[in-house]
Amino acid sequence: MKKVLVEAALVAITGAALAFVTNALSSRGLKLTRNYFPGANRPSLTARAANNPVRGAGGTNLATASAEQDTIARLRGKGFQVADGEKVLALFHDPRYEQGLIIFVDARNEDHYKHGHIPGAYQFDHMYPERYLGAVLPACNAAQQVIVYCDGGDCELSEFAAEFLRSSAGVANDKLFVFSGGLKEWERRQLPLEIGERKSGQFRTASK
Amino acid sequence: MDAIAVLARWVLGALFVYMGLKKALNPAEFLNLVRQYDMVSSPFLLNSIAAALPWFEVFCGLLLLAGVAVRGTAVVLVAMLVPFTLLILKRALAVAGAQGIAFCMVKFDCGCGSGEVLICHKLLENCLLTFLACWLIAGAGRKLSMRFSLVPSPVSTQVSEAGFSG
Repeated sequence: MKKVLVEAALVAITGAALAFVTNALSSRGLKLTRNYFPGANRPSLTARAANNPVRGAGGTNLATASAEQDTIARLRGKGFQVADGEKVLALFHDPRYEQGLIIFVDARNEDHYKHGHIPGAYQFDHMYPERYLGAVLPACNAAQQVIVYCDGGDCELSEFAAEFLRSSAGVANDKLFVFSGGLKEWERRQLPLEIGERKSGQFRTASK
Repeated sequence: MDAIAVLARWVLGALFVYMGLKKALNPAEFLNLVRQYDMVSSPFLLNSIAAALPWFEVFCGLLLLAGVAVRGTAVVLVAMLVPFTLLILKRALAVAGAQGIAFCMVKFDCGCGSGEVLICHKLLENCLLTFLACWLIAGAGRKLSMRFSLVPSPVSTQVSEAGFSG
C-alpha cells in the first residue's frame, strides 16, 4: 500500500504542475492573482438557508421574494442604484435609448448573450474585460444612464460588472443602475430578445 | 472479469477526460461555480482551484485510459471524489432547506462538468465512480495497461508484463 501512496503522490505532484502550466499557456486560462469577484460579500448559501428556512406550500415563492429583497438590500449596500422592471421598461421605451443616451449592458458570457439579450445591449463579461471594454467604455461614457443586468435571481454577474465599470473603468456611479430582476423578469414580461450579435436585427420572444 | 475491469478503467478515464475538458474550456464559468461552494475566501486559492482542477482531471483520466500508474491515480481520484461528493451533499441540503423542496428535487450545476443535474443522480453517480476507483486500487484493470505501476514490486512487474503482452 505504501508504494501505491507514493505513486499517488507522484501522480498528484506531476498532475498539479502540468495543470498550472497548461492554464498559464491557455488563452482562456485564469490569472491566479486577479480578484474576479470584486466587492463580493454575499453570505453563503448555507448561512442564508440557516437564517431563512422556508417550509411548506408556497415556500419557493416566499424564498424567491426573500432572495430578491436580499439582492436589492445588498446592491444598495454597495452603493448601487437599483432599477426594477417598471423602471427598466420605461428606460427601454425612452427616446434617449435610440440616441445611445441610455444603454443596457449584459454581464453574462458570450453563449448566454448570443442566445438572447435585451435588444441593443452591449456585452460585458467582467471575467474578460479586455475583450469588451473597447466597445463598452465609450458607450458608457457617452450615456446618461447605464443599466447593467444578468439573469436575475441569484445571479451576481451584474454586480461584478457594475463594480468593475465603477471602480476600474471610471464610469460615474450616479449613472449606473443594476436591473435586480434581470433577464428572468424581462422574459416574464414577454419582451423581445435580440439573438446573436448586438444589432443583429434577429429577435425572438421569451420562451415560457 | 478482467475485461469488465479494463472497461471500468476506460469508462472512469474517459469520464474524467470529458468532464475535465468541459470545465477547462470555460474556466471562467467553472470559477464562478467553484465560488458557490464557499470553500475558500482567498481569490488566489479560488483561482488556483478553478485553474488547475480541470486539467488535473484530464491528466488523471488520460493516465487511466493509457493504464499508467493506475492504482496511484485511482487513489487520487478517490481523494477528489469523496470530498467533492460531501461538498455537493452539503450544498444540496442547504438548497433544499432554503427553497423548501424535497432533497431529490434539488437541481443545480454542481460544477462537475455535466451542467444542471438532479443532485440525487449526481450523488449516486459519484458513489459509483468512487466504487470503481476503489476496485482499481484493489488491483483490477491490469490488462492492456502500458505501465500499471510506476513503483513496481517484483511480483507486480511480472504480472504487469504478462498483462500487457497478453
